[in-house]
Amino acid sequence: MLEVSIDGTRRRFPEGTTILAAARELGIEIPTLCHDERLVPNAACRMCVVEVKGWSRFATACSTQLADGMEIQTASPAVEDARRTMLRLLAAGYPAEAVAAAPEKPFHRLLRSYGADTANDGARPCFTDTQHPYLRVDMAQCIACTRCIRICDEVQGQFVWRAWGRGPETRVLPHGAASLAESECVSCGACADTCPTGAIEDRSVIERGAPETWTRTTCPYCGTGCEMLVGTRRDRIVQVKPVLDAPVSKGHLCVKGRYAFDFVHAPDRATEPMIRESGTWRKVSWPEVVEFVAKRLADIVAKHGADSIGVLGSARGTNEENYLAQKFARVVLGTNNVDCCARVCHAPTAAGMKMTLGTGAATNCFDDIERAATFLICGSNPTENHPIVGARIKQAVLRGAKLIVIDPREIELARYADVHLQLRPGTNVALLNALAHVIIDESLADETALRERVRDFDAFREFVAAWTPERAAAICGVEAAKIREAARLYAQSDAAMCFHGLGTTEHVQGTEGVVCLVNLALLTGNFGRPGTGVNPLRGQNNVQGAAHMGCEPGNLTGFVPIEQGKDVFESVWQAPLPHSRGLNLMEMIDAAGERKLKALWAIGYDVSFTNPNAAVTKAAIEQVDLVIVQDLFFNELAREFGHVFLPACSSFEKDGTFMNSERRVQRVRRAVEPVGQSRADWEIICDVAKAMGHGAQFDFASAEAIWEEVRRVWKAGAGISYARIETHGLQWPCPREDHPGTPILHTESFPIGKTAPLKCIEFHATTEVANEEFPFLLTTGRTLYQFNAGTMTMRTANAQLRGTDTLDIAPADAQRMALRDGQRVRVRSRHGAAVLPVRADSRLKQGELFATFHATDVSLNQLTGPHRDTHVQTPEYKVVAVTLDKI
Amino acid sequence: MNALSELPPVARPPGHRHQPGKDVDSFYHLVGCDLRDRPCDGTACFVAGGGRDAHQPRVYCLGRCFAAPARGLDRARPRIEVHSREPIVLGRLAKGGDGSLASYRSAGGGAALEKALAHEPGEVIGAVEASGLRGRGGAAFPAGRKWAAVAASATPDEKFIVANADEGDPGAYVDRFIMEGDPHALIEGMTLAAYAVGARRGWIYLRHEYPFAKEALDRALAEARAAGLLGDDILGRGFHFDIEVFVGHGSYVCGEETALLRSLAGLRPEPTIRPPYATERGHLGRPTLINNVETLATVPWIVEHGGGAYRALGFAQSRGTKALSLNSLFARPGLYEVEFGMPVRQIVEELGGGLRRGQLKGVIIGGPLAGIIPPHLLDTPLAFEELRAIGAAVGHGGVIAFDETTSIAALVHHVLVFGSYESCGKCTPCRLGSRRLEEIFARPDMPSDEVRELIAALRCASLCGHGTGLGEFADSALRYYGKELEPCWK
Ligand SMILES: Cc1cc2nc3c(=O)[nH]c(=O)nc-3n(C[C@H](O)[C@H](O)[C@H](O)COP(=O)(O)O)c2cc1C
Ligand code: SF4
Ligand code: SF4
Ligand code: SF4
Ligand code: FES
Repeated sequence: MLEVSIDGTRRRFPEGTTILAAARELGIEIPTLCHDERLVPNAACRMCVVEVKGWSRFATACSTQLADGMEIQTASPAVEDARRTMLRLLAAGYPAEAVAAAPEKPFHRLLRSYGADTANDGARPCFTDTQHPYLRVDMAQCIACTRCIRICDEVQGQFVWRAWGRGPETRVLPHGAASLAESECVSCGACADTCPTGAIEDRSVIERGAPETWTRTTCPYCGTGCEMLVGTRRDRIVQVKPVLDAPVSKGHLCVKGRYAFDFVHAPDRATEPMIRESGTWRKVSWPEVVEFVAKRLADIVAKHGADSIGVLGSARGTNEENYLAQKFARVVLGTNNVDCCARVCHAPTAAGMKMTLGTGAATNCFDDIERAATFLICGSNPTENHPIVGARIKQAVLRGAKLIVIDPREIELARYADVHLQLRPGTNVALLNALAHVIIDESLADETALRERVRDFDAFREFVAAWTPERAAAICGVEAAKIREAARLYAQSDAAMCFHGLGTTEHVQGTEGVVCLVNLALLTGNFGRPGTGVNPLRGQNNVQGAAHMGCEPGNLTGFVPIEQGKDVFESVWQAPLPHSRGLNLMEMIDAAGERKLKALWAIGYDVSFTNPNAAVTKAAIEQVDLVIVQDLFFNELAREFGHVFLPACSSFEKDGTFMNSERRVQRVRRAVEPVGQSRADWEIICDVAKAMGHGAQFDFASAEAIWEEVRRVWKAGAGISYARIETHGLQWPCPREDHPGTPILHTESFPIGKTAPLKCIEFHATTEVANEEFPFLLTTGRTLYQFNAGTMTMRTANAQLRGTDTLDIAPADAQRMALRDGQRVRVRSRHGAAVLPVRADSRLKQGELFATFHATDVSLNQLTGPHRDTHVQTPEYKVVAVTLDKI
Repeated sequence: MNALSELPPVARPPGHRHQPGKDVDSFYHLVGCDLRDRPCDGTACFVAGGGRDAHQPRVYCLGRCFAAPARGLDRARPRIEVHSREPIVLGRLAKGGDGSLASYRSAGGGAALEKALAHEPGEVIGAVEASGLRGRGGAAFPAGRKWAAVAASATPDEKFIVANADEGDPGAYVDRFIMEGDPHALIEGMTLAAYAVGARRGWIYLRHEYPFAKEALDRALAEARAAGLLGDDILGRGFHFDIEVFVGHGSYVCGEETALLRSLAGLRPEPTIRPPYATERGHLGRPTLINNVETLATVPWIVEHGGGAYRALGFAQSRGTKALSLNSLFARPGLYEVEFGMPVRQIVEELGGGLRRGQLKGVIIGGPLAGIIPPHLLDTPLAFEELRAIGAAVGHGGVIAFDETTSIAALVHHVLVFGSYESCGKCTPCRLGSRRLEEIFARPDMPSDEVRELIAALRCASLCGHGTGLGEFADSALRYYGKELEPCWK
């Protein structure tokens, strides 16, 4: 500790504290312009100068660390004079209108408080950009603080803004482009967020006015779990800003979280309950629709039994709501037929990791990104689909961490990779076995880990002996030498951290692919320590939570198998649990096709659009007598197959919690009133339950009240109270209120014991192979600007940034087939066809295609097939053999 | 130790991923510029009546201040004399050495390296520490302490030596003629430094305005390599070291060491805050010893004759000798090596022989980023602390005398034009304050409060020595020539 005096107050501070941070802790405001706590101090604007006794010059508070005994004056007359002089200099060429239009901008406030008047002496020609859908740039307001440059370099890693010229003529411009749209910009908005003047500003604020109220909440998009401040004005969202002290996002957001909020008040938001009677929809009141649903469900239970009904929870719903959805299925209806969209994404992760390690969730935390020496990214495109994780990985790699990317496409991170294994889709297991082979063959395994924490090594060694890199190379289409290089990098690193995504799970060998990744971590001792582990990047904000809360046919809240949890749940719920094995989502569709499923309640989940093999899916859903659609929008499922529509509200309109990819439970808070008559999912579920005679078990006054019940049934979450997660989430296991949460699992042992097993996974080729009739392999995925079914993002200006799905094709293939960018082609698979525009993309290898599945007018899932993961039935979205026809 | 050919390319440190391009080029003003017919805008030329027309790009000092006002490049050498007890940096030049290895050796050059390689690196550092040598680039930092810091710094792979040959101060042409006429002294000094701190690669960061120095250095480096004085296994002692010349693109601030290192790495050359110091994280993030040309050229003598012998020369805290470059207004302009402690009056009146004509109005020593010495303070000794006490500095040793034909307002205006033109633009007081002051000093009615505020902000709040130095200069003008400026105030 160092003892210093600041403006006469003596206080002790830890080593490494800057003068600025120390002053702030004492409540002393030192003015700054170029400082941003997200950035390395630059000490350029010189506003934060202070006097230090015995120093001949001023010190900059932002960059000067305390030294023992320092005596600091933060606002001596000399310092204040210098600040005023500098502000006058900055004000001299500054547009007065800008100050008037946005008086609360930090720079404008400083001008005011130091009495520096703008002189606006002659407008100089400056760079402007008014075409971007979210950002407006007017460099007449630029004071050259370079925060935009540095935040784009140091936080996002896009290197868009550059300083040109020097001295008084210094100008800040996008690199090598005439506008942001033409630059490498990914519209993260960080530059606008940090700009102290409004030279780069959110258009929404300019057009709709500055927010009046701020609400801290968690992002409704991907599973990263960024926290955001929602700015509202007259009950409308006008701006979203990143939360500086957020544990995951650390003051950063991506284009979706930051800007894609206009879906909330979209003109086509469906806000009234409706019932379809003889083909036409009729608007009804809430009591009527609740009564109708209750009665129909009761009838069906009476006539066909509870197991003829399926309930789908939603990754877009809160933990509380998913908890209620499965409780409703089990208690009110009496069936285990409850599932959620985890089925079509990371169910293989949950199963594969539970099977081998005992916990079906990320082993480590995102803060380990800064502690890892090497990354292995397998089947995940973080810079587009988990952009904040992607940006953090990119920065870590720029700081010197090593990177291995396993992906059929040359995704952005592949450009930064030390080794990119550009494998053929569907061959993960072969490749991962070969990595294990090299690790053992070259004696790179961690002997201590093998001795103390891992079992079944001998059988495994024998098994992978046959998996030479050469053998895998032939199957995967990558060079054997690169496989060796990757294995060495991963194994020889002090701490290697694995992230995987749907490119690992959405295969017939999805679960087994995850197990192969676990094998690598076990072999090399990359678990239970900082900067290591096997870490799924979950697709949606609360997909981890939805399944974990029990929207899972075989598991109750906490991923507890039904048999194991029976006693606790029956006593808390005061009701018997159903006995029959529940159907998962895919089995529900199968049952529907066989006319065995009579009712389906789909909460926030457009199954007909997002499930694979659309023709078969749709034919099946058509057979269901009662399709209850609960959503923000009148989606494809409602339009084609719905009987009842229940207008739900978004996470901006309700309270609750989400659970992110790293097991962190974080708060969701209401920022605006529910739109129209829409209601929170939990309120709707409770009302229907009450109408069906279960009022006592569904009597909750608030989301928090539901959470309190969750804590009673879920041991590992018992310590997480709303009070404790007011400003930052907690990672389970957190069994007691005095427990700090668990950032890293398996440090001493596994839930299944001291040791975890290595598993021998034989490679099975998919049946989706290219041949003469279907010469291309198509893989599907998301893009930065759109999210899944596009329900939310397509209703925002993100659609201007990327409006429709494209079929990405290797330029050589496009040339050979004489296809121009934008030309529409019919893509045919063994299962169906879709029409979409092509786009030449050098990130693809010849013979391979990539397409997104966001646009309803394309409906890409007409192409994907019936194949499923052998363990948990997750569909094989990631590989389908297709052919192209010109039209 | 690996032979040089086995050294891997140096990995660029984090943050260097962005490939610099036109944005960085746009920082410099002499990219691809041919200087043959360019008039000089430097201070020595200004006080000699030149540098008054507006033209682009500007050229601040061609290193010909002895023949100011200068236009274009010229190989002529100035008068060169040694007035110290021992000839240390100008001895060979004064004797008309041609810069070849042969002439260097015939004058005794090269003995230091032979001697050093027979001793431990620590002993070389010890000699430099004992000598009391302080940096000649302006900051006067003890050289031995810097060497010891680099030697002690841990590094993942390599350490580097960088010679600061940016000699940007208008009025200074010491380094120019050391490089053109005695380049082996610099090369030997760098090699000694490399041996002492454990470096294997070195760079000479040479300003664009010195193309003849580039030729001379290239020639000398080739000779040294051929003679086994550079490259693998120097003098058969298993020590490897080589040097590259990097030519700048026109920017005064690149002489500041953090900016210089960024320039060398292809980054936008703005000064950065310290710490980290170059001794820990310098060129490409590796521990780097950066010294001025004259500092390095002094080292062979120290190593050969011992630190004590050097320390025996000089005055107070300023040990040894200093080369000075006198401008064209003196009766005897040229390069003079003197011991520290010589009164400025002696330099002006005896060495320089007084002004060629007219009345001495003041002397600018150490470039325009330090204070003016008015006639009544000429008895101040030439020494770091002593000059500092009157608001002046030793700097690079440029000595510019000016006479009554130069008005103080015009001189300050000239320096501010230079200052704002050469400001990197990173910090507010210098980027905007230097320009604002320049505008004010062009007017007949100057707002005195504003001028004082601006000068204070420059002096106290600028990030690097460029801004603070401009403030010091303007401040000394106001302090010593207040009377002359009085009618200018509004
Ligand atoms: C604006 C500015 C310009 C400078 N220009 C030079 C220069 O041209 N040559 C030089 O050797 N040092 C110059 N310096 C000093 C260097 O930053 C640094 O102190 C020096 O290279 C260290 O070497 P030394 O210890 O041998 O003096 C400059 C400093 C500043 C602030
Ligand atoms: S645009 Fe804004 S953030 Fe960027 S340099 Fe200018 S004032 Fe600073
Ligand atoms: S929006 Fe993000 S990516 Fe685009 S320029 Fe700004 S900081 Fe860079
Ligand atoms: S003082 Fe001038 S040259 Fe130095 S950093 Fe500031 S703007 Fe750049
Ligand atoms: S040659 Fe012009 S100032 Fe030196």
